[in-house]
Amino acid sequence: MEADGAGSDVEREDESVIELLRDRFRLLTISIAEAQAKRNDLEISLPIAACIADLAFKYTEQLAKDLELFAQHASRKSINMEDVILSAHRNEHLATSLRSFCTDLKSKEAQSERKRKKPSRKEDKATTSVVHIPDN
Amino acid sequence: MEDANTFDPDLVHAIFKLVWNRRALERERNEGADGLDIQEKIVLRPNGLVGARSLVDNCVKLVGAGASKKNRPTYANANALKLSCELLRIFVTEAVQRAATIAEAEGVSKIEATHLERILPQLLLDF
Repeated sequence: MEADGAGSDVEREDESVIELLRDRFRLLTISIAEAQAKRNDLEISLPIAACIADLAFKYTEQLAKDLELFAQHASRKSINMEDVILSAHRNEHLATSLRSFCTDLKSKEAQSERKRKKPSRKEDKATTSVVHIPDN
Repeated sequence: MEDANTFDPDLVHAIFKLVWNRRALERERNEGADGLDIQEKIVLRPNGLVGARSLVDNCVKLVGAGASKKNRPTYANANALKLSCELLRIFVTEAVQRAATIAEAEGVSKIEATHLERILPQLLLDF
């Protein structure tokens, strides 16, 4: 009984926090959606933008579950970029564009690190492709 | 323009954490039910020293399990969060873009519910 009481208390707190996050998320989504519509010289009606926001929020929750499971499956506690790319593996175009975004982030990080000190060049090794020249 | 208009990694992190906490709580609650089963079994045969010792052992096990669950919350590194933000941004822009294509084909200047309805099934399949 005690455990149940504590659980519902936590849940009630959870609800208020989730509402706050959902509202902030909705505002951001609506501004992104409106900007995108404006780029096409179109308007987007507010209920539709809010609807897309709710869809995106649900998607975020699903994504959180997926990422946690991926990390656990790799027996890690931290989520890294590979997990995020893996979550989009069904859509090749999406995975490719995420991968390029990921290399962008990495190169940016490498640049800022190089300013501070000579970094370890693990990432460079991974990305340089070997060009095979046939000898005939 | 695109850089200014994206999700806040902290916000996404907060949502992720909320989901993970919820799942951890559920897991803990399930384990709590298991623990009760163990205790009932022990009470059924209160057999002197051996019973007492196994009770202690089980208690230690229970406490240990609970503590280790609390000690290992999932966390995400900064780049992974940025990448998640990008994924969500693509989701939203893709939804609007596809709806916009339908609206333009119909020759109206406002994206309405019917346009979203048309593109929704394929959108959900693609993400």
